[in-house]
Amino acid sequence: MALNTFTRRGLAMLAGVGIAALTIGQAAAADPVRIAAVVQSLDTEFNVLWANAANEHPLVKDGSVKLTVLDGRMDALTQSNQFDTAISEKYDAIIFVPVDIDAGNDPVQRAKDAGITVIGSNTLISNTDLYNAYIASNDVEAGKMLAKSVFDKMGGKGNVVIGEGMIGQSAQVQRLQGIEETLKDYPDIKVLEQKTANWSRAEALSLMENWLTAHAGEINGVIGENDEIAIGALEAIKAHGLDPKTIPVAGVDGVTDALLAVKRGEMMSTLQDADAQAQGAIDLALVAKQPDYKPQAKVWDVNGGKLAWEGGKSQHYSVPWIPVTLDNVDGLLEMRKTQ
Amino acid sequence: MSTELTTTAGAAGARSQAIGRFLSRYGILLSFLILFVILSFAHPNFLSTANLMNVLRQVSINGILAIGMTFVILTGGIDLSIGSVLALTGVVAGSLVTGGDPYNPAIAFFAAVGVGALFGAVNGTLIARFSVPAFVVTLGMLSMARGATLLYSNGRPIPNLSPEFRWLGQGFIAGIPVPVIIFAIVFIAAWITLRYTVYGRWIYAVGGNVKSAKTSGIPTRTVIFSAYLLMGALAGLAGMILTARTTSALPQAGLGYELDAIAAVVIGGTSLTGGVGSVVYTLIGALIIGVISNGLDLMGVSSYYQQIIKGAIIVVAVLIDRSRNLNP
Repeated sequence: MALNTFTRRGLAMLAGVGIAALTIGQAAAADPVRIAAVVQSLDTEFNVLWANAANEHPLVKDGSVKLTVLDGRMDALTQSNQFDTAISEKYDAIIFVPVDIDAGNDPVQRAKDAGITVIGSNTLISNTDLYNAYIASNDVEAGKMLAKSVFDKMGGKGNVVIGEGMIGQSAQVQRLQGIEETLKDYPDIKVLEQKTANWSRAEALSLMENWLTAHAGEINGVIGENDEIAIGALEAIKAHGLDPKTIPVAGVDGVTDALLAVKRGEMMSTLQDADAQAQGAIDLALVAKQPDYKPQAKVWDVNGGKLAWEGGKSQHYSVPWIPVTLDNVDGLLEMRKTQ
Repeated sequence: MSTELTTTAGAAGARSQAIGRFLSRYGILLSFLILFVILSFAHPNFLSTANLMNVLRQVSINGILAIGMTFVILTGGIDLSIGSVLALTGVVAGSLVTGGDPYNPAIAFFAAVGVGALFGAVNGTLIARFSVPAFVVTLGMLSMARGATLLYSNGRPIPNLSPEFRWLGQGFIAGIPVPVIIFAIVFIAAWITLRYTVYGRWIYAVGGNVKSAKTSGIPTRTVIFSAYLLMGALAGLAGMILTARTTSALPQAGLGYELDAIAAVVIGGTSLTGGVGSVVYTLIGALIIGVISNGLDLMGVSSYYQQIIKGAIIVVAVLIDRSRNLNP
């Protein structure tokens, strides 16, 4: 873990030099709105998609908003330090994708005390009242959709295994809650095994191989709390000589490999809309500064999307999940190429 | 009366010394066999061919890394960079076989092993030529190689790898998984090298005592350099297999793998101070780690226990090593 931190710290130092150079380079431009985005980790695909989407926001592209993305390196303390930096650098707003549900509260409180707008995105902190506003997809709902898709395909009865995320993270806690709530409606479904694969495909692969050996012929469905876990399980099923179409597998997030697997008819997935969460958060940060601001993200109803803008006055916006189907998968894959 | 006591104590001492010698020589093998027997009774499917093939396949990546690490540790060094180098070789190899067209997997093989060897050569040069401590050099490389991986892949997995390439991780030859065959070849080559070649004796000599190795005419710097070069190349080989197994090149692959490889070497009784050890025992060390994780998964035991057990075995293995050094 210490080594790990070192790796990330080294990268941060490089990034820091880069940011400093950029800041100096742009100091001459006319006063843009300065927003710092403190994200979980730029070595997970979703956060990268999120950061890319944020940089594609029209006002970031035309230079009227200056966005700085800070890599939290999956470490709550690092994120807290980045908040301190953003506060002392007097950023106009901070967008926060917290690593830890509880450790995230205090930095937000400090920024709020310093009079800086803080917008939450993607993952949650336990005290969301501290935010000016937050925009996220409901992970309990994702857990429900995930479980229901597998259970229905199993015909409502049989044995499932659950590959869990990193224990204690908000996505793991809430997706599991959704799965457990759904289980109550399916009395004939039995959970054979439930263990963490730490969001990792390689770990899920070994885990599933071992489960297929331990419960030969007994596993009728697989729930992965994210796509990486579901894909690892899917590969184990195939390596075991089983037909993936006979064992329903589902994950969440809509990473590229999952989209490809859905297209092959081998798994089910639900897309988490990174564009909406990232660009929507920037819109919320800007409307907090200028009440007459017109939002840019496509997800808002005023721009033809499904999420009600409500003049930017709401405190909580819930971005709808997009179930990946054979009908929309080609379009999503096409979109992914440009992200 | 007093003579009697002394004699008894002496006999007991001799006996405990004999037990100590036996344990330090065969303790690891014995623990592995006991573990194997227990798991065979604990779960009916443990001994099935399919499961044993699974265990071997799961072990092969860490096993290949641990064999390279044995060479490095035998020279008295350490390589902390291999998890990151593995990830880098994986994304480089993956980027050459993506896009859906058929490719010759040999391209990916040479790219992965070549990039791994290149990074190994940088480590080796800094350590052997410029005498920078191996811990520091490879700690730095751990960070740099991970950064290079993320840069190269833009922090995102590279999907859509060609089936010919994936065969390296998922295929079989005569019912035996390809990774296991690669692992076996690496193991046999390493065993022959260390046991029967002059180069093998040099590796032990350098780790045993650099000064006397130098005075007896061994090119110590070249030997040390070669250990890191080999480690890097094997990290590349492991990176290629991992990428082929997971069907995408994952930039966050290999986190902490250096520690598992070191654990296998240490459990196998190779001395961290160098000069003493064997790839045969490293193989057993890697198998112990793999069998524990497989067995506990089969029995449905929480993965938290796996970490505790693995840690305890490492400490006990070093304890045995210490007792051997204290009572020669």
